[in-house]
Amino acid sequence: MATATHNEVLFGLYDDEEILMDAVKEANAQHLTIMDVYTPFPVHGLDPLLGLKESRLHIAGFIYGSIGTMTAFGVMTWIFTRDWPIIFGGKPYWSVPSFIPITFELTVLFAAIGMVVTFYTVCGLGPGVTNPTLDDRITDDKFCIAFRTNNSSEEEISSLRSFFDRTGASFINTKTI
Amino acid sequence: MSLFILAAFTTAYSGWHTVMKRVWEAYSGFLVVGFVFLLFLVAGVWMHWHHLYHWAADGITDISDPHYDAILAGKSGFLNKNWYTFGTVVIVSVWAFFAYRLRSLSLQEDERGGDGYAIHRKIKFVSAIFLPIAAFTSCAMIWQWVMSIDAHWYSTMFAWYATASWAVSAFAITILTLIYLKSKGYYPNVTAEHFHDIGKYLFGISVFWTYLWFSQFMLIWYANVGEETGYFLLRRDNYTFIWYANLVLNFVLPFLVLMRNDTKRKFGTLAFVSIIVLIGHWIDFFMMVKPGALITAKEAALLEAGGHAGHHEMTYEFMMGFTIPGFLEIGTFLGFGALFMYVAFTQLAKAKLEPEHDPYLAESLHHHV
Repeated sequence: MATATHNEVLFGLYDDEEILMDAVKEANAQHLTIMDVYTPFPVHGLDPLLGLKESRLHIAGFIYGSIGTMTAFGVMTWIFTRDWPIIFGGKPYWSVPSFIPITFELTVLFAAIGMVVTFYTVCGLGPGVTNPTLDDRITDDKFCIAFRTNNSSEEEISSLRSFFDRTGASFINTKTI
Repeated sequence: MSLFILAAFTTAYSGWHTVMKRVWEAYSGFLVVGFVFLLFLVAGVWMHWHHLYHWAADGITDISDPHYDAILAGKSGFLNKNWYTFGTVVIVSVWAFFAYRLRSLSLQEDERGGDGYAIHRKIKFVSAIFLPIAAFTSCAMIWQWVMSIDAHWYSTMFAWYATASWAVSAFAITILTLIYLKSKGYYPNVTAEHFHDIGKYLFGISVFWTYLWFSQFMLIWYANVGEETGYFLLRRDNYTFIWYANLVLNFVLPFLVLMRNDTKRKFGTLAFVSIIVLIGHWIDFFMMVKPGALITAKEAALLEAGGHAGHHEMTYEFMMGFTIPGFLEIGTFLGFGALFMYVAFTQLAKAKLEPEHDPYLAESLHHHV
């Protein structure tokens, strides 16, 4: 999620998601704390291995949608019964069926915009924000496991390196992000 | 409908459904049984056993006849006994033929192995031909079978609306069958992942049904043409409870219950919603059929008594079995449901539950959402 500045990171790149999955299982078995895993596409079954909780974004989406529903319905009711009542096609002022399409549209609009804004806020994304990548190839064909090594001793780092060697990483590097 | 789903999935290169595709193949076996019952309906139109269809009455298109009806005379190019018979006999036979073809090809695949995907390609070919045929003919048949009960009224959305209703029912009954079979220890490979996907279809098509239900109503309500509004006026005023219950059962409940991710993965919730929706869509068809059938029945009774009933002078009173579903209706529902399940399970028992040599079986077994 949100990246803190200036982390010492040791990372290894894997060529295939199968190898990556095995490596993550191995890391879990050794109780290594993985900072994050970067993959070019969503890997099935990775989330539970990393202990990631289900996103709560859809709950937010439901709330935004409900707000949209109420806004649309409330505003139309107010306009057509209080503010500026007009008779359309011989229908009553408060003609619910004709409100439904607009209510639907506003529900979708509120939910969509609300969820996008929430997602960008939570992820720290937005216009003008640059996010450093560990290696450009993780957006293409490499699968990356990253460990935070801010206060790690030499032995810890060398054991992490040997972990990468054992689990078949094709490239190991450090980077400060 | 299940045949259509099967054909659509096969054509769309879907893999996840393969493990349970035998269930849908088994359902399509009911077409033959249903065909026999429909023959009775057709015979009834010719022999005047029933007064289901106003357009089938004698002298309705004859301008010198006192029973002449200008609107129905204008529609008589399609709404006549010949087309009705042709549609029911030929089109349903074509459906049954495709059902038989897909089923036997699928069984061949079991027996002879993959055969270098040759059989699977053939299944794909048959499915692709079936899709447009099914799409157009099912529209025509629902017009003749159900929409023409209210012969004066028409709606261009009706076929879509009924199709959505069929699709929801098909998925609901699939869920129930699979859960039942799983409780008996069959289908160990059908997991929560598969149920999740059928649940999504149940949810999505329920919403789609609501969209069509409402659109059909709203366009007519907004245009306010007397001929068409009468259809809804009759239903809203005399069937108020069922009218709103229909919406609650088929939209509000599945929408709110199935919206969450995990409710689609729990068998209990899924079975509960499936039963609700199944009853709901039965009520939906009750609403399509019964009000119109009551009017034609009353008119026919008056005609036999010698008078001619104007279409708008009819008084409306409560009538068991027409105003609300009576025991006869519920019994018919249960009877056909039981017959359907009997045929489906018999068909299911005739073949392996999992299509062994289907090239997509492996993908289906590893399905993960």
